[in-house]
Amino acid sequence: MRLGSAWLLLGLAAMAPARADVDVGGQLRLRWDERSAATAGPLATAAALVAPDVAPPQRDSLSLLSELRGRWRFISANAALDQVRPEGGPTTSRARFNELYASGEAFGWQFSAGRKIVGWDVGYGFRPNDMVQSEPRLQLLPGTPQGRAVVDAEHFDADTAWSFVWVNPQRPEDGSGSDEQALAARAYRRAGAADWYGFARWGEHTRGSLGAALAWVASDTLELHASARWAERVHTWAIDPAVGTIARDNPWRVQQQGASSQALIGASWTGENQLSLLAEAWYDGSAASDDRWQAWAGRNAGLANSLSPASPAALRGAVAGNLAWQAQAFGATSLRRRNLLLRTAWKHEKWQPALDLLYQPEDAGRVITASIEWQGDRVSIDAGLRQYGGPSSAVLAQLPLRRSAYLAATWSF
Amino acid sequence: MITKTLLLAASLLLCGAAPAQEAAALIQAADRYRLAGENMQIETNISTYNRDGTLDKERAYIVFAQAGHQSLVLMQSPAEKGQKVLMRGDDFWLLMPQTQRPLRITPSQKLLGDASTGDIATLSWSEDYDGSLVGEERCGEAACLHLTLSAQRKGVSYQRIELWIGKARQEPLKADLYLSSDKLAKQASFVMDKPAAPTRVDEMVLQDQLSNHKETRVRYGTRQAKTIPENWLNPMFLARNPSLE
Repeated sequence: MRLGSAWLLLGLAAMAPARADVDVGGQLRLRWDERSAATAGPLATAAALVAPDVAPPQRDSLSLLSELRGRWRFISANAALDQVRPEGGPTTSRARFNELYASGEAFGWQFSAGRKIVGWDVGYGFRPNDMVQSEPRLQLLPGTPQGRAVVDAEHFDADTAWSFVWVNPQRPEDGSGSDEQALAARAYRRAGAADWYGFARWGEHTRGSLGAALAWVASDTLELHASARWAERVHTWAIDPAVGTIARDNPWRVQQQGASSQALIGASWTGENQLSLLAEAWYDGSAASDDRWQAWAGRNAGLANSLSPASPAALRGAVAGNLAWQAQAFGATSLRRRNLLLRTAWKHEKWQPALDLLYQPEDAGRVITASIEWQGDRVSIDAGLRQYGGPSSAVLAQLPLRRSAYLAATWSF
Repeated sequence: MITKTLLLAASLLLCGAAPAQEAAALIQAADRYRLAGENMQIETNISTYNRDGTLDKERAYIVFAQAGHQSLVLMQSPAEKGQKVLMRGDDFWLLMPQTQRPLRITPSQKLLGDASTGDIATLSWSEDYDGSLVGEERCGEAACLHLTLSAQRKGVSYQRIELWIGKARQEPLKADLYLSSDKLAKQASFVMDKPAAPTRVDEMVLQDQLSNHKETRVRYGTRQAKTIPENWLNPMFLARNPSLE
């Protein structure tokens, strides 16, 4: 009944006549995902040891993703309903508001309150100063992200802007990373062909951080950008250092780490023939260090070597569970500290093919993504393929996924 | 005003001299057929046709053309709804609705598409180009004046425009649009509201000469005087959604 009501609402909205004080739009997307599990890495080893219920195989899925956007007077909303049917499993549904906020103006300031997408910073593959949204990057055909609960005040003149955001005001105690309660500020100044930004954030648990960014159009075809941030503390996944070879409970926890820095430089070039090239390099000091990854790999090997063909099933299950827990290390924003991203795209009439390479020089891990988009008046078709690879010791080569592909049709209204 | 400009231009032609400032007056006169005031809100529809005449795509925009080389373009068609492009002189920004994050874009990125955002947002030549009168020619049955327009700034979509305007009323008739590489990118022709006594351009027809050779029809709908607040022209303001009323 709930799903039926949502569909009825979407249908009525799509058919509603346009009125000057109501602005409604949205999209329906039918998407198929194919996923191939990796044959190396802790989850693959765990799956090989015991029944697949410890490390579930990656499943293909068919999804229907609905999104309705609307604005009425001072209220803006973006509602989404996702229905996902994994291969061989039941359909699951999730409804949410990506945005629902009120906004207004008083005394020359703009105010908003509610759930809202607040995107900051200048990078494509990495945005250290995305201090409010902390939007996941480099996703395959990303949809609209879910905004944060915010109260914001902003002031604009022709070339300067000040933004002050109270993030997650409803969460006084719990929350970590982008979910913690925080105050964030952005100062913006346009100086000719350059945009200058300054950022500051005070998080309840992570305390202070400061950042700066620049985007500069150097010529008709070339844009350069850079961003840097220093943080007093960061949240990161870490294993309990006192844990033995085999733990009884998951030894991985979100922990606070000391001061760290992040920095990105990038350039994009677009020619008259509509071919574009992007190159970015970044350092993320909040990612696990080389030593930590070596310790992680050592624990993986130790767990696997603790078994012999004669080991009892109970021990095999315990080892498999511990190996599965090792995948918790993949939950970080950046897996490696040093990253290089290259992207080329060509827009030709309704078609846009693109090719991306993410390379991590510390262990030669790589992710290659090829995609193509066809955009019509109301319908767009997207397809893509992503392959994780590198030497067997590379972190990216040990992710649960080895390859993923998607095909999607989107109808906009 | 148009009559005065015509008399001035005609007298200069008779004298065999056409200084640059008089060419500028002719260009200003031609501009008024598209942009009646300095600060305007224009509803613009674009239809692109394939070589065989079938409809390829349609797009709708609201354009706020403001004095001082400034324009704000709001995309209205379903495929682009929520996208915004801000142009301030040679500087450009794009907002994609999924991220609510204004991005600097280069002049060459502004050129993307059959009708570039420059074609849509730039409704005045006199602010961006220096002109010189080439001479009087025949455009079909009527006499027309041929002008060469050279860009004053590198950020404009076309570095050179060959423009033909009516001799009697200075209404724009046709134009050849050249890129900075001096390649002919598009040929434009203008459809007036009343051919016998034109008061405004209803449609600009662009013939692509560079790649796909498609025809793009830019229709100018409702036009009204509108001065938008100064803060709407701040790139960071693109992420806010003010009421357009």
